[in-house]
Amino acid sequence: MKALILAAGEGLRCRPLTLTRSKVMLPVANRPILEYIIRSLEQNDLREIILVVGYKKERIMDYFGNGKDFGINISYIEQEAQLGTAHAIKLAEPMVNEKFLVLNGDNLIDAQTIRDLIKGASGDVTLLTVTREHTTGYGVILLDKGRVSKIVEKPRDKISRLVNTGIYMFSSSIFDEIDKTPISETGEYAITDTIQRIIDKGANVTNITTKGTWFDAVHSWDLLKANSIMLGKFEAMKTTGSIEKGAVIIGDVDIGDNSVIRSGSYIVGPVIIGKNCNIGPNTTILPSTSVGDNCTINSFTEIENSIIMNDVRIGAGSYIQNSIIGSNNIIGPHFISEMGKDLKIEMKGILHTADDLGTVIGDNNIIGPSVLVKAGKMIATGCSVDPGVRVTKDIPPNSTVL
Amino acid sequence: MCGIVGYVGTRQATPILIDALKRLEYRGYDSAGVAILTDNGISVCKTEGKIADLETKLPDMKGTCGIGHTRWATQGAPTTINAHPHVSGNIAVVHNGIIENYQELYDWLKAEGYEFVSETDTEVLAHLAHKFYKGDLVKAVIEGLKKVKGSYAAAYLCNDSRTVVAARKESPLVAGVGKGENFIASDVTALLKNTRDVVYMQDFEVVQLTGEDMHFFDFDGNPVQKKTETIEWNIEAAEKSGYPHFMLKEIHEQVTSVHDTLLGRISELSGDVILDEVTLSIDEIKNLEKIVIIACGTSYNAGLLGKYLFESLAGIHTDVEISSEFRYATPIISGSTLVIAISQSGETADTIAATREAKIYGCHTLAVTNVVGTTLSREVENIVYTRAGPEIGVAATKTFTSQLIALYLLSIFFARKRKKMDVDRSKRLLVSMKQLPGLIQQILNNKEIIKKHAIRFSNARDYFFLGRSLNYPIALEGALKLKEISYIHAEGYAAGELKHGPLALISKDTPVVALATKSSTYDKMVNNIKEVKARSAQVIAIACMDDTEIEKYVDVVIKVPVADELLYPVLSSVVLQLLAYNSADALGCAIDKPRNLAKSVTVE
Repeated sequence: MKALILAAGEGLRCRPLTLTRSKVMLPVANRPILEYIIRSLEQNDLREIILVVGYKKERIMDYFGNGKDFGINISYIEQEAQLGTAHAIKLAEPMVNEKFLVLNGDNLIDAQTIRDLIKGASGDVTLLTVTREHTTGYGVILLDKGRVSKIVEKPRDKISRLVNTGIYMFSSSIFDEIDKTPISETGEYAITDTIQRIIDKGANVTNITTKGTWFDAVHSWDLLKANSIMLGKFEAMKTTGSIEKGAVIIGDVDIGDNSVIRSGSYIVGPVIIGKNCNIGPNTTILPSTSVGDNCTINSFTEIENSIIMNDVRIGAGSYIQNSIIGSNNIIGPHFISEMGKDLKIEMKGILHTADDLGTVIGDNNIIGPSVLVKAGKMIATGCSVDPGVRVTKDIPPNSTVL
Repeated sequence: MCGIVGYVGTRQATPILIDALKRLEYRGYDSAGVAILTDNGISVCKTEGKIADLETKLPDMKGTCGIGHTRWATQGAPTTINAHPHVSGNIAVVHNGIIENYQELYDWLKAEGYEFVSETDTEVLAHLAHKFYKGDLVKAVIEGLKKVKGSYAAAYLCNDSRTVVAARKESPLVAGVGKGENFIASDVTALLKNTRDVVYMQDFEVVQLTGEDMHFFDFDGNPVQKKTETIEWNIEAAEKSGYPHFMLKEIHEQVTSVHDTLLGRISELSGDVILDEVTLSIDEIKNLEKIVIIACGTSYNAGLLGKYLFESLAGIHTDVEISSEFRYATPIISGSTLVIAISQSGETADTIAATREAKIYGCHTLAVTNVVGTTLSREVENIVYTRAGPEIGVAATKTFTSQLIALYLLSIFFARKRKKMDVDRSKRLLVSMKQLPGLIQQILNNKEIIKKHAIRFSNARDYFFLGRSLNYPIALEGALKLKEISYIHAEGYAAGELKHGPLALISKDTPVVALATKSSTYDKMVNNIKEVKARSAQVIAIACMDDTEIEKYVDVVIKVPVADELLYPVLSSVVLQLLAYNSADALGCAIDKPRNLAKSVTVE
């Protein structure tokens, strides 16, 4: 059985991190979200995978290649215009001729999630659902005599606790139904519209509820939660890098090839550190932190519950908490991210709430010494921030802040 | 270059040989053929053109033992008759290499009554084996090859026994060990689908393959014990994974390949480069009087940057020589000279021969190469691997930038050992080098701009590339890249040389690429830009992100992120690769297999 993963979208709500990569490539515990999906499929012996790519597709292709490093075969299809999920699925028609799985590339799952669907699926269409206390912002389903009777996108009232994960098992007859699906008000062909049409025709559409992992990182700051969940699942600590005498490592800490933890550093797991990093001397890294490849974190810096992506330098005496730092940032000494609770964050005129957040910084910025970023304020990409600046509002791409 | 393959086992040989030949396609070829040992003796099928053409011509040849060949014509036109295998009586042979005493052997064999049907030098190998065959193919092959001067990797098939015999001298050959089956090929990529256990053959060695085992002999017929090695990288890495061309895939891979070249080799805390693979003692390094870099093609351009680095950082006089010239010159080298051979494949015939030449003078030798276990790596005392991973596109991209990185590392390594570079400077440089993968990603993020301008100028007849000091080798490489894949005529010049001739060629709308990243010669470069601008050329400047002045003088600016001044060649290279790629793509050229070119040049 083949699996089709939809990975063409941009992930606008994860700006500024998605200015330079698509949402599926955002790292959680040093692996792109998409890798968790691919590994879960592989663990269920699904090795023929079709990736529908579009926005920043090269980043995906560079990382996954043809899939051999992950024990699978990947074929790529490009969705040039973003015309919705049904359109993306339809693109795979020439490559699929039996039952197949469809998944979103930007949801964290585990092997159990897939296993439940494969075991329980029946009929031409099966939806995978999860039970959630809060369903705001999700699509939910209504049941009638054990069959799916309605899919409701983002309902205002609490009408159901069964959230549609966007993971489906279809037979190839779905393609004919997609052809008959009209375009929606938002200008897209949505697969949920197709399924609703099938239900309305009286055909059997079933659902399976899984207790496996399913986590949708809606906003950039949700990645911190995802990171913490995934680091929490770590088991054996594996250190291929070197730890100097006088450094203290507590709990599950994974240190990659050629990385050095210098004397006087204190690391409390779960923490993952990539390849070729230089940590310390005298650096403190506290739980639920991921540090990517090729990073340098200088003396007397403390980092907690944060994601630091690849190729980042952080100067001495900095303090970073509940923050996400994109790739290839050069951050001067004495950088401070202020931490705030229940922040209201405005994106394109809509207010969103972040529970605990420091800052989110995109790729390729140069930040001078002694910069302080107010809680919830973000720096986009390609910015240059002068020494001593207090960042009190969001900084758009390619800005120079004096 | 020609590619040879051979198989003995229990499966049908034809599909295995055809598949293996396809894996050698990247070497470049113009005809192909196979010979299979069937129940009715040896059956041969060959054709000019592509392997696909061969497949359509193939009759039903049943047999579990055979040899195959892709030919890149050197002597004799690319025709079906000249395609290998060549047959003499009961023996068929395929061959990669050049037989230098062909005429002498031809005359002798002709006098002995042999008829020649083709114009190739290879046919003498078939007749020689036939002449000496008295029931033992191994003996016949050795006796025949003893008469041959030149280079060869050759495989033989004989009517009388289910074996393949192969031998090598100065052309690559590797044997693959399977279960109940064995293989030989010019290159491991042809074997990896079937086995990862290989034996690298050396000059004047012969192998006899049967389905069950393989035996190695020297040219006196004595058995030789060989070590089996396991190949770690996989053939699938050699597929395109979603990209339209290998070249574009490999340009993108530079983010990781540069990282891999650097991995574990720099200590930014102490400002030192760690190159444990360099075995020269401190005294030997301190006493080096001269470095001679020998290389061909793109590797030569990397070598020119190496000269700048070794001289300016480590204070060692450095010459860069084209391998095929160095061999026949009168080199002034001695025991205090270090010869650095740069070859991506490690099989470049001219570079290997030049290295052997240098060893005669008692020089220290060092190879900068990308492939483990090659002929070159066995010739030298020190090897710095570039770790760029397999490169399939004929135009070198990621292996070039990795060669540059290796040369930066070597020059800093020597500079530190010779106390020519203070810790502060080397630390700043190393920290900036560590940033390179991220900076290359930034260039890739903005590749659409480069594409736009490449398309705009893709109908140009000529292109000029200008650079000064350390940008000069990059101007040469930019021109080489463009002409080899897009067939647009391109020249690289030292910008100061412009007035001494080439300026006459610049006319209205000729695109001129000016490498104008920040350096001590930046102001001079701006003057050169004004010179060409005054002749109405279209100037495309490659400049730093923070340069706000250059726009005033040029038509197009392509910006690269800010880095240490010394490192701009790496970033500019990526831009020029994308320029060449997109120009060729706009013109519809066969980007991964440019006409007349081969990936590794294993003939001289």
